[in-house]
Amino acid sequence: MKVELVNLTKRWGDVVGADGINLTIEHGEFVAFLGPSGCGKTTTLLMVAGIYKPTAGEILFDGKVVNAVPPKDRNIGMVFQSYALYPHMTVFQNISYPLKLKKVPKEEMQKRVQRVADMMGIGHLLDRKPAQLSGGQQQRVALGRALVKEPQLLLFDEPLSNLDARLRLSMRSEIKRLQIDLGITSIYVTHDQVEAMTMADRVAVMKDGKLQAFSPPDELYERPKTLFVAGFVGNPPMNFFDVEVVIENGEYHARGVGIDLVVPAERGEKAVGRGKVIMGVRPEHVSLADEGASGVINIVEPLGRDDLIDVRIGETDVQLLVEPGLGLRIGDHVKLHFDTENVQFFDPDTEKSLLW
Amino acid sequence: MSSKRFRGLAGYVLAAPAAVLAVAAFYLPWVSFIVNDKLFSTLTGRHIAAGTVIQKGSGEIVFRGSVMNHFILVVAAVTFLSLIVAWQRRRLVLWDGLALAILGAMGFFGILSGFGVASRKAGIAGVDMEMTYGMALALLASLLIFVAGVWNTVAVTREDPSVKGTLGAWGFMAPTAFLVMVFFFIPAFILFILSLTDLSSSNFSEPWHFIGLENYRRMFSDRFFPKILGNTIRYVSLTLIFFNVGMALVLALLTSHIRRRAGFFFRMIWLLPRITPSVVYIVMWRRMVQQPPYGIINQVLGWLGVEHQPYWLNEQPWLFVILVNGFVGASFGMLIFSSAIESIPKDLFVAARVDGASTWQIVRDITLPLIKWPLLFVTSYQTLSLLVSFEYILLLTNGGPGLFTTEVWALTSYKRALFTYFGTNQWGYGAAWGLVLVVIAIVASVVYLRVFRFDELVQEPKIDVL
Ligand SMILES: Nc1ncnc2c1ncn2[C@@H]1O[C@H](COP(=O)(O)OP(=O)(O)OP(=O)(O)O)[C@@H](O)[C@H]1O
Ligand SMILES: [Mg+2]
Repeated sequence: MKVELVNLTKRWGDVVGADGINLTIEHGEFVAFLGPSGCGKTTTLLMVAGIYKPTAGEILFDGKVVNAVPPKDRNIGMVFQSYALYPHMTVFQNISYPLKLKKVPKEEMQKRVQRVADMMGIGHLLDRKPAQLSGGQQQRVALGRALVKEPQLLLFDEPLSNLDARLRLSMRSEIKRLQIDLGITSIYVTHDQVEAMTMADRVAVMKDGKLQAFSPPDELYERPKTLFVAGFVGNPPMNFFDVEVVIENGEYHARGVGIDLVVPAERGEKAVGRGKVIMGVRPEHVSLADEGASGVINIVEPLGRDDLIDVRIGETDVQLLVEPGLGLRIGDHVKLHFDTENVQFFDPDTEKSLLW
Repeated sequence: MSSKRFRGLAGYVLAAPAAVLAVAAFYLPWVSFIVNDKLFSTLTGRHIAAGTVIQKGSGEIVFRGSVMNHFILVVAAVTFLSLIVAWQRRRLVLWDGLALAILGAMGFFGILSGFGVASRKAGIAGVDMEMTYGMALALLASLLIFVAGVWNTVAVTREDPSVKGTLGAWGFMAPTAFLVMVFFFIPAFILFILSLTDLSSSNFSEPWHFIGLENYRRMFSDRFFPKILGNTIRYVSLTLIFFNVGMALVLALLTSHIRRRAGFFFRMIWLLPRITPSVVYIVMWRRMVQQPPYGIINQVLGWLGVEHQPYWLNEQPWLFVILVNGFVGASFGMLIFSSAIESIPKDLFVAARVDGASTWQIVRDITLPLIKWPLLFVTSYQTLSLLVSFEYILLLTNGGPGLFTTEVWALTSYKRALFTYFGTNQWGYGAAWGLVLVVIAIVASVVYLRVFRFDELVQEPKIDVL
């Protein structure tokens, strides 16, 4: 099912939940809504589900406006962070509830529940109550309940947030595999960027109710359209400098307090002559060197595989990853090399990218 | 035979004759006294109830049993019988021993204090009072029961260390058990004893005359008994169904589905009758149903062009009895239900909607099952409080109009016992009416627990005993 959101807005008095969201989700696509807490992900999802009525704008399923269609006629399945299993019903009753409401005959209901339960690996738990299951099992039941009525659209609201890291990893790939196998259009709300980047075909980044970007994960990472997206996507986050781009001897220089970098012409030319701009460099494009911008180490954070160090250059803190075991200490003076192949430039007022 | 069973058994071997002895020594004279005191005294030449027979100055023999003694020993006998059954099922458990020990101790001190009371009374009456052999035997027997109980408890506890945890659990329950004992079982028992007498304001200076079940016979053969019974059933069931549970549920569902503020406001309005003093509240109602030109109901009817404008309390007494009680009663359930509904996670409702449920289906499949326990609580609690409530009826119709039109059981009990009815306060007769209410209430509670399958609601604790 193709889903279109047109100028979708939700307000409660002064509180803005979602603000003019426009996006189109293709049939069978897996889209993640990514954003910090309170940015309106759940609000948008609940409007798609038909729980919230949009203040303005339209929701279209396969080209038809569904604003006035009640949830039960939207043919959607939903999975919640809290699992939202009915505590007084057994696993079987939980999964079969949507079918019972549709008045599916008993035998067929039995068969479909069993099939879904087996697919989710919970076929042996059908007689238990939710309270007698582990978190992972509960989430499988919730997923089973969402899938059993063979919905055309699956909505996930941070389904893995309550699981431990390892289980989260395995459920992540399981959900992704299921989605590919079944080909159901899916919207997946998360504030975990790794989840969004690894699972989704396209990621919609939101902030303060507004859509910031809607693109495939790699593009989001390499060609962030706004300052917010650049800073939000990627871990550790992108480093930002206040610079001015000038031409000298035919080369583009980005100059700020304590740094002077030569940047590629095709990027530099878009930022030149604009006065102060914001330059972004990802931590993996910064390295320790014998030559380059000099600074003082502020923080050393061992992460295991790497050490994350924070170096103060002029008035900017630069984060980068270095090999562990170099014996770096706080207060050490180091020199940094910047790989400027992938630098980003943003307008400091509009916070929009100057490149894309 | 395991050593556990064997050791436990020793306690029973000791307790069995002791219990028989206690019951025999204490009750034979008592029973014979009821049947025919003469018979026993002719056979034995003396009155041998366990120290509680006194001879009045006039030479009349009066039986003064300590109420507590009988109670304790009846329970002891019943318990002992059940122990025998338990033992035959090969399940000697901790409770047997504990129950024995407690009953033994209670019996011992009960009989002693009974003797004290009796001898003091006898002294006042100028009669010498001896400890009869019956009483001595009963004392000895209860002591033996106590020892047997302790023996058994120790044996079982030694055998099975997990018993200690169980003992702890009973320790926590003890205060509640004590309160229930003091405020329910003992008053109910006193009520029962009272109902066997013809005590009234005309003869309260005399010793009690036990008249057996005469009060009950009189009650059941009362010409208005069926009427009062019917009234009570009607009053309790209609008020309960339409208001205390029905309206309460409707209000709770409605007020939790509108805006919070508005919901709060409506709940406040429904609370007003409850916080109004009963007399003021009833005076307001009595004013409202007056004939023209006073009553507001009739005034409104007048505006609507209705000719028929009677004194409504005479025209529709039941309607108003139920309305008056229901308006007060609904708020209790409403508060309990709405807080229960509020505490259901919102996600469940969203999930049910997405699953395809209509509002009615959500109420039926999600809300109601999840507030089952508050529903059970309100239903049983309100049944019981309606059964024993009569003040609004007293104030509104006083059981009228006419004879017994709206008189309910509790009101009758009140009038017989504490109202100068036919010239006297018939405490004994009133107690009989009251006791039936107690029995009905107990039966009703048990039925409710069964119907709502209470045991399924109470989940196994997740904390394992270590
Ligand atoms: N029913 C409501 N009434 C008023 N304001 C609401 C309501 N629901 C959400 N909001 C507000 O709308 C904004 C967006 O909330 P939303 O639940 O969509 O955030 P979210 O992106 O899902 O955050 P999280 O990651 O914490 O779940 C928040 O500021 C929130 O306070
Ligand atoms: Mg949310």
